[in-house]
Order: sequence, then structure tokens, then C-alpha cells
Amino acid sequence: MSDTTPSETRRPRRVAPIVALMVAAVLGGLFWVLAGSKSGTVDKVGLIDSPLIGRPAPAVRSTTLDDVPFDLARRKGSWVVLNFFNSTCAPCRAEQPELVKFTEQQATLGSAGAEFYTVLQYSDDVDAVKAFFLSRGGDWPIIRDDEGSINVNFAVAQVPETFIVNPDGIVVVRWAGQIDANTLAQLVQQQRDAFNPS
Amino acid sequence: MLAEGVNGLLGHSALIVGLAASVFGAGALATATLLRDQRLVRTVQAYGWVVFGAAILAVVVMERALITRDWSLAYVQKVGSYDTPALFNFTALWSALEGSILLWLLLLAMYSFIIMRRYRERLPDPLVAWALVVMFVVTAFFFFLSLGPTDAFRAAGLPNFDACCRGPNPLLQNHILVLFHPPILYLGYVGFTVPFAFAIAALITGRVGEGWLMETRRWALFAWGFLTVGIVLGSWWSYEVLGWGGVWAWDPVENASFLPWLTGTAYIHSVLVQERRGMLRVWNITLLVATFSLTILGTFLTRSGVINSVHAFSDGTIGPYLLGFFGFVVVVSMGLIAWRGDRLRSPGAIDSPISREGAFLANNVIFSLFAFIILLGTVFPLIVEAKDNRKIAVGSPFFDTMAQPIGLVLLFLMAIAPALPWRKASTELLRERLFWPAWCGVGTLVIAVLLGATDFAPLLAFGLAGFAGGAALRQLVLATRRQGYRGLLGRANGGMVVHLGVILIAVGLAASNSYTRAGEFSMHVGDTVEFAGHSFELKDVVDFTTPRAVGIKALVSIDGGEPYAPAISKFTAQGMDIATPSVRTGLAKDIYLTLENGSKPSTGFAKLKIFIKPMIVWLWIGGFLCLVGTILAAFPGRFRRLATDPVSAPIPLDEPTTEPVDV
Amino acid sequence: MSRTSSLKRWPAWVAMFLIVVGFLAYGSTRDSGPRTPEERVEEITKRLACPVCDGESVYESANSASAAIRAEVKAQVTAGTAGDDDIVAYIVQQYGAKTQLLPKSTGFESLVWVLPAAALVCAVVGLFFAFRRWKMNVDTVPDDADRALVDEALAAEDTKDDDDDGS
Repeated sequence: MSDTTPSETRRPRRVAPIVALMVAAVLGGLFWVLAGSKSGTVDKVGLIDSPLIGRPAPAVRSTTLDDVPFDLARRKGSWVVLNFFNSTCAPCRAEQPELVKFTEQQATLGSAGAEFYTVLQYSDDVDAVKAFFLSRGGDWPIIRDDEGSINVNFAVAQVPETFIVNPDGIVVVRWAGQIDANTLAQLVQQQRDAFNPS
Repeated sequence: MLAEGVNGLLGHSALIVGLAASVFGAGALATATLLRDQRLVRTVQAYGWVVFGAAILAVVVMERALITRDWSLAYVQKVGSYDTPALFNFTALWSALEGSILLWLLLLAMYSFIIMRRYRERLPDPLVAWALVVMFVVTAFFFFLSLGPTDAFRAAGLPNFDACCRGPNPLLQNHILVLFHPPILYLGYVGFTVPFAFAIAALITGRVGEGWLMETRRWALFAWGFLTVGIVLGSWWSYEVLGWGGVWAWDPVENASFLPWLTGTAYIHSVLVQERRGMLRVWNITLLVATFSLTILGTFLTRSGVINSVHAFSDGTIGPYLLGFFGFVVVVSMGLIAWRGDRLRSPGAIDSPISREGAFLANNVIFSLFAFIILLGTVFPLIVEAKDNRKIAVGSPFFDTMAQPIGLVLLFLMAIAPALPWRKASTELLRERLFWPAWCGVGTLVIAVLLGATDFAPLLAFGLAGFAGGAALRQLVLATRRQGYRGLLGRANGGMVVHLGVILIAVGLAASNSYTRAGEFSMHVGDTVEFAGHSFELKDVVDFTTPRAVGIKALVSIDGGEPYAPAISKFTAQGMDIATPSVRTGLAKDIYLTLENGSKPSTGFAKLKIFIKPMIVWLWIGGFLCLVGTILAAFPGRFRRLATDPVSAPIPLDEPTTEPVDV
Repeated sequence: MSRTSSLKRWPAWVAMFLIVVGFLAYGSTRDSGPRTPEERVEEITKRLACPVCDGESVYESANSASAAIRAEVKAQVTAGTAGDDDIVAYIVQQYGAKTQLLPKSTGFESLVWVLPAAALVCAVVGLFFAFRRWKMNVDTVPDDADRALVDEALAAEDTKDDDDDGS
């Protein structure tokens, strides 16, 4: 079966090794990429970068669960902490006592203390949220996001996320994942120190 | 407690015995073949029995553990629960990584066993012997996976019922198709191991002629049929369960099953060229190697966590082993092909691109290109991340853009290829043979336009589908006129039935992708809305409770008929909302209703989403036709020759001449 | 036989071609009616990836973040000022490139578009050379008897077809 004519055997010998080398190179590259790729995505907890930082906070115009109108633009002059929340998310539920602690701590600072608001994730069940706050504490205003636009404007993907907005209405910190009272208080204090000299 | 320890012990023992038996079986058979020791060959039978027995035992033990809720096993804690119904508790075997590897193992051991029994008289034949060695080696690898990286029988501490034992993912205990889709898909996936094993054996023995093809053509056909049906069933499951009204999302896991299907489809076409003309030997072996290694690569991509997907059971530990095995398979196969390169040179030549073999070549180029594009799109985010360390996504818009022209070209090929003779066609012959099929295409296009179809791509798809359908029907009519019912049997005729099935699927996809209408309506009980020519009356919104879930459902009457009941259930154990669509199925269109979050029985309010999806049911009919066609194709067809068909000169082969194929 | 073959001569094919072109042109240019807002939302959200759950589009995903994006898209569609591309661009700007399901056609990402085209070109060129080689071999491989049989059987009039290989 290898009784081929000379012309037939000569030509493929030139081409075949080149094709084989190319295929091998592509497969090798694929193998290298796959071997080097990290398995599993670990959700990052901590400070994360965002195009929002250093810019005026997006508009937050809504009502709270008690039907009180809320407008972030009117909170200028005070430090504002926004915590995005969903009643079905485990880390959100876990950080609640820390948030309570943080608000109590800030209350001792008087008017210099940061204001604290929870922003609901779109589609969260209002009754479940109320029941949760009733049982686990937390008496700060809870802002509804019935249009989803607050979440989208802040590009919140995975709750909980915490944002700090300075008295000029500029976003200065974005924190992804669970946070504790001391870290949050420190972050606010750092920003305060950096803000005041200017 | 005693019985519980028994399951883990039995399972591990079965896996160890199976691993040992497959390793020793492979070793003994290889040694026996190399030394030509007939006595040693005969001992291999025993290993085969043990391998199959061990795999069965492992699966039976796991099922027993699931049914008896043996919480001493980590896997049972992961997928078992007290309130899973018996059926879904049974299917829980394949609802997570470890169990699905066990299922794979069982099917692989079964295939090895069948090969061994079927060829027991011919085991001294090195070709069969090496094929079985390859099967044993692959089986050994999966036994090893099940023992180490994805230990299915890992012992667990006492169950903490607050955190564990919640049963399978609610999506996997919601529909009867969960019982059929994974095993059938795996039968296809794993089935391609058999032709792969024979291809490797052909390379090792140097008998790279057409003999090994003869042995494996039905195996490849069956594997292809199961894979096809498995993929269609998967789409059906997605349509019935996921609630977004679609059948295919180009999700990495779907792509992983689609890739071997593409190369497998290329193979079952190009193999005909080799059988008939003795050509494309390297190419056919390459396609089988690609098909098999793509099943491993797909498993790696979706099971190692490098790509996340809704379907993925991510587990970081299995990745390196699967990738290593993939590399091993590729390197060994390429090495063997290079080693046998001079023997693989084809003696024949293809005279003209306008010929049956030319069409098969074009088919192969398109299918390989398609597979390359899908693979590229699937791994491209990883490439970008490796290069620039940033995340991007490649999703359905990309794949749709690519798939559309390819699908149209494939429809065109399906239309003309059955009319092309081997070797060379004349325009007169084509004009004669394609005349009525072409009118079928024109008729389909005209009817589609008259029925109101719009847009270029779907209209072209309809026209080409009519053309291709006409060509397939012409073949079948000619064959049955000549041979009666036997004209439906054999590969060429069964293949035409498969073509009809694929054409129906193509039409269904073109119509449902292009002409779906969707609307969202907020309604109170008693309201009626008109949408797309139908009226929808909300009769009631009610609460319901099942042992596993609480939920609400809306009763919607379509055009005054019996109410349909789309629902949302919250599975209490997992805290997961599952929307269950309700579908009125029809030949022309499906009406697909889903209930959205925000609906409240207390106020009689429902947020309803209505999809009008044309011709979805054609997909399932097409899938069924593919199955029927595959079965018909497996029967031996009768050889016949048309007077005008050119006949190839005898090709020097080192195997008996192949059974010629109908034209 | 003579009747059918006269029926299948070129004029019938030309008529067929004209019908196809006419109906395709008519069918693909006529208006398919305005899209409902839901259909616009569907088209837009199918182009966006869910920012948290890899592998699903915003359209399919049941995740809260996706629900928020769907609501936002719907609001923008209802407002009616922004086009589809603007809305997609806005969401991608907010959530980052990983939410854009259609890869860019510039920079490194263009490879995902270029490579398939390059592969197609390679395949066609490869086939062209393969056919040329086969044709050269056909002349040297001694199967003239076979060729004669073929030619006879085909009774080919149009030998021109021999030349369009590789196309």
C-alpha cells in the first residue's frame, strides 16, 4: 500500500511535518493556557476598584421601606455609608450584627458620625426584609430599589457591597463582601482624615 | 452504623478491584499480544468480567447508599435528602461530579465488556487485542479518578442537618427528563471510546487499511445516535425546566457536548470516503482522536472549575488529572500517527470537487471549522485572562453569528450531496437529479413568504431546508420504489432519514430564533389580555405546598380553553426559586407561559410573561427522526448500482474489500 | 424521458432562480412590524452576561443582579431615548468587559473573529492544493482504464468542470 509514485511521496513529506508542527504548536499553546488557568473563581472580599471612585455618586432617589422619600443628593455635608443587601444572602445576614455595632459607634460621634443606609437588591422580598431587621436589629432607613437602577448605577453584582460617600457626594470607597464594624469605622476615619485637610 | 460503614467499604473495594483488574487486564493482554501467548490471551476474559462486575457493584452500592440515606458517605450528604422523591433520589447518582464519573465508569466498563464478549473468538487478533487494551487503559483511568480525585465513597462525619443533606439541585429534581438525558448523553460520549480504541489499535498493529473501520462503523453510529438524542433531550429539558423559553444557550457545558458531536458527525461522513475509496486515512483517525480527546477536554473544561457555568460541578482537584490524560491521549495518538505516517498514505485520488467525495470533504472542512470556532470561543476568555489578566466573556451572540452561515452552508451541502455521484458529476446529471429537490426548496420558500415569514437568513434557511429535504426524500423514494421497505435500511437510506430529522431541527431553530414574540403583562384575577392573536385570561392565582416546596401558580386560560398553570416554587431546603413554565404545544407554535417574581395570591395579582415560540416541537420530532434514522442505518443495506454511476477501480487494500455503499 | 429532460433544461432553472430571488427580496425587505418593548429588552439582555454567574446571559439568569439589570434595561427601553447599543454600552461600562457577550473586534479580542476566517482560508487553500495534487497524480497513477470507464459512463459534455477545483 505504500507503493506510491515518487511525485506523490515527495510532495507530502514537505507538507506533512509543517502541518504536524503547527498542530502540535496550537495544542501545546492550548495546553499551556489551560494548565495555567486558575480553577474556580474566588469572590474577592475587600476593597475593590471601581470606575465610580473619585466621582460623584450616582443618583439615589427612592423611598425607604417606611415610605419616606430619600435622595442621596440631599445628604451632602455628611458622610454616607450605603450597604447593598439581600435578605436571602448569607454573608449579608452574617454581617448584620457588625453593622449594628458600626451604627452605634458612629452615633457616639454626633453629627460627625457617618449616616448609614441599606439599599435593597432589586427583587428582594420586602416582607422578608422587614422580618429580618425586626429579628436581627438595625433601625436605620432601608431604601427600596424597585427599578433596579440604584444597583445598576453602583454596578453591584454580588451583595453585600458597601460604599462610602464623602460630604461632597464623591464615592471614596467600595468594599465587596462581608465587612466588620472596626474595618468599616477605620475606612471611614481614614477618609475623614484625608478629606479634612483639603 | 454497621451497614453504613459497609457501603463505603464495599464501594472502595469495588473500585480498587476494578482498577487492579483493568490495569492487569491491559498489561496481560498487551504482553500476550506482544509474545503471541495464546494461553495468556484467554485469561483476559476473567479480567473483563471483574472490571464490569466491579463497576456495576460500585454503582449499585452508591444507589443503595442513596436509597437507604447512608449519611456516612460525603456524596450522599451532598446530594441526598430525606424528602427527595424516589425517582430523583435515584437520579441523584449523576447530579454531582463524583456520581457522574461513576456513571461514566459504568458505561465505559460496559462497552469494554461488550467488546470483549463480542470479539472473544478473535482476541488473539492483535487488532482486537490492542483495542481492548486501550479500552482497559481508559477504564483504569476512570477507576483511578473515582478512587482518588473524585472519591465517590469518601466517608463523612456525622451529618449536620442544618447545613447538609438537602438533596440535588432543585433544577435536577423537577422533570422526568433528568432520568434520560444524562445517561443517554453519556452513552454517546463514552461510546466514541470504542472507535477511538480501534483506531489506536490499527495504528499500533500497522493495519491501517479499512479493516478497523468495518469493525467500528456501527459503534461510531450508535455513539453518534446516542449523543445526538442526548443533546436534543438536553435542549428539551432546558426548554421545559429553565423557564427562559430557550433550548440552547451556548453554555460551556453545552459546547462541551457539542464539540465531540461535530467531529463525530464529520467522522461518520468522511469514513464513507475511506470505505469506498480508501482515502483520508490520517484524517479519519485524527477525527476519532479529536472526538475522544474533546470529550476528555470538555469534561476538564466544565468539571475543573476553570470555566464556570450553570451546569458545572466545579471541583478543583480533578482538573490536573483530566488535563494530563488529555495531553497523554493527544501525544500518544499524534506520535502513533507520525510513526505510521508512511503506511497511512492514501493510494487513491479525488478527481473532482463536484463529486460525492468532494461533498464529504467540504462537509468535513465545515464541521471541523465549526468545531474549531466553538472551541476557540469557549476557551478564548481563558486565553485573554492568561495574556492580560483581565476577564472577558464570549457568549451566544458570538456563537450565533458564527453558527448561522455555517448552518446555511451545511443545509446547502445536505441538499446537493445526495445527488452527487462518486468520482465526478456532470452538470446534466445534476440538473436532472436536483430538479425536483430544487423545486421543493422554491416551494418551501414561497409558502414561507406567503405565510408571512420575514428576514433574509431564516427565509434562506427555509428554502435550503426544503431543497435538502427534497433531496433526502428523493433518495428515499427511489430506494423504496426499488426495494420496498428495505429501501429505508442501510447507511445511505437511514442517513437520509437522519438528514430529514436534522432539517426539521434546523427549520425549528431558524423559526424559533427569528420569530419568537415575547410580552410581559401585569394582571389581576379576571383580566384578559390580547397578545399575538390569542387571548389570555387570568383565572386565579393560588398558593400551593408540596412536601419539598412552597409556591404560587397562576391559572391562565388561553383562548377560553382549559387553564395552564405556570408556577414559581421555592424549594424550602435550598432556598431556591424555581420557575416552572407551562406550555401549550402545537405543531405551528408553542405558547410558553412563565410566572414572574412579584406575583401575589393575596391580592390576586400576577406578572405573566408570554412567549410565542414557533415550530419548537419540530426540534423534538427532528430528534426522534434522527434516532429512527440511526437505527435504520445500523441495519445492513443492500448493495445496488445505478447504470450511470461511475465505479472506482479496485484499490489495493490489505483487508477484504469493503461492503460498498448505496449511492 | 425526453419530456422530463426538456422540462429540466436551463429555462426551468432560470425561472426557479428568478422566483427565489424575487421572494427572498420581497420577504426580507418587508417590515416585520414594530418590536414590543419586551422584545427589545430580550435582544439587549441576550447580549449581556450576568455579572456574577458565568456562562449565563442576563436574559436567562435568575440572579438578583441580572434581575436588576433587566429592570434597568426595561426602564431605559421604556424611556425610549437610548438605542440598543447605547444601553449595552452603558451596562458594560458599569459592570466591566466581562458582561459583554459579543467580543470586541479590536485589539487582542479581534483574534476571536480573525482566527476563524484565517482557518477557513487555510482550509480552502489546502483543499485547492490537495485537488491540484490529486489531479496531477491521476495522470500518473495507472488507472486509465478506470478513467475511460468513467468518461464513458458520464458521457460528459462539459469538460469545463474539471477546472473549477478548490472553489
